[in-house]
Amino acid sequence: MRWAPVPLLINYLTIEPFPPSNCPITIGNMLNRFIRYIQRYKGWFGGAAAICIFLGLYTGLLASPPDYYQGELVRIMYVHVPLAHTSTLAYSVLFFGSIWYLWKRDPLVDNMCQASAGICALFTALALVTGSIWAKPTWGAWWTWDPRLVSFSVLLLILGGYLMLRKLVDDRESGGRYAAILAIVGGIDLPIIKFSVEWWRTLHQPMSFSTRGVAISDDMVLPLTLMSIGAWLLFGYMVMVRTQILYLTDLLQAKKGRLFSQTHFSQTSP
Amino acid sequence: MTGFYTRWAIMVGGLLLLAMMTFQQYQHDLSTTSLATLINSPGRSEPVRIQGMVKSGTLSGETDQGQATFELVDGPTSVAVVYAGPPLENIRELKTMVFIGQLDSNTKTFKAKDTALINNFGFVTAAYLLTVLSMSWALFAMSQRVMVLFKEIKDEKLYEPEIDPLAK
Repeated sequence: MRWAPVPLLINYLTIEPFPPSNCPITIGNMLNRFIRYIQRYKGWFGGAAAICIFLGLYTGLLASPPDYYQGELVRIMYVHVPLAHTSTLAYSVLFFGSIWYLWKRDPLVDNMCQASAGICALFTALALVTGSIWAKPTWGAWWTWDPRLVSFSVLLLILGGYLMLRKLVDDRESGGRYAAILAIVGGIDLPIIKFSVEWWRTLHQPMSFSTRGVAISDDMVLPLTLMSIGAWLLFGYMVMVRTQILYLTDLLQAKKGRLFSQTHFSQTSP
Repeated sequence: MTGFYTRWAIMVGGLLLLAMMTFQQYQHDLSTTSLATLINSPGRSEPVRIQGMVKSGTLSGETDQGQATFELVDGPTSVAVVYAGPPLENIRELKTMVFIGQLDSNTKTFKAKDTALINNFGFVTAAYLLTVLSMSWALFAMSQRVMVLFKEIKDEKLYEPEIDPLAK
């Protein structure tokens, strides 16, 4: 029996254009084609994220001045705000990906949604914890029932529910469908998170960047921007790697199943 | 395999270097002298930073004019402070603050000329460490998983061309 060389296998998994060039371009396979295409450049995403975060850490921790009232504590903003921004971005990816999945039933988009959910949960949890660390010395409490904090915690609960559904439902397609519906319904939390600081009285500071202008000092804009771009790129990189893991796991299971069925068939057939 | 772990070792080394640089910078900018050390070394002529709590009932003077006298407490040690400098907008009794100035060895009073920010980067360190460590762990676990999956596919020889049952 001849085995395909591994480099060829890697090419097959990551580089070969999909759908094949003779496949017609339709709305259904456009996103699939885009995901496959951009997967080739995930290393560039990772590298760019590392550079942005390194520069952001340097400017945020060493080059930017402390705040007049908060002192050094203001530096927590350079991790907390990018994490929070990125978690809402990640949930947006999950939300629109779920709509697409329910419409086109593309398994690659389903994998991407599952990957986004896990990474979004990580970013959301870290945003909550860093916010809590910031709240203690500034507000005097680790936690308060503030609308922004509560709506953000609800996002984490929705993501927990999504991931549990994916884990607990045996049938892959049904699990994906139920989870996509939950993600779409949970999307209502996104505008609540964004506008909670304007709709209700809150301890949380209003938006730093809005149509009314920039509400923070010029010295703080650079590290915050660098860290935000770095976090978005890092999210992109992590989603691509996680999607690849899910794809490889599926492939491995499929191959094992095929081998098992072949063995079983050869043993039982006359 | 070796390249994978080397890459990660370089990244961890870079992070450690950044952490050390940051720590040194903060130590340089924010280190303070305790009141006990200040009183026990009266011959010091260079300006020092002292941290302590403004004692209750001792604050007097025109703080918005930059003139104030009060007593600063740090544990069992206290020192009288005469402040003359920029307006003190946020001073109040029982508040911990940092002052820059010199000790007058004759009168045993601390002549403060300016305030500085409180050395409170413990919270900052906790937030950054938590984020960096969690993200690094997640990235390492994911990269390792990809490598293991590829290796598993290679070692188990699971990839094989489909056998067409109709070929025979």
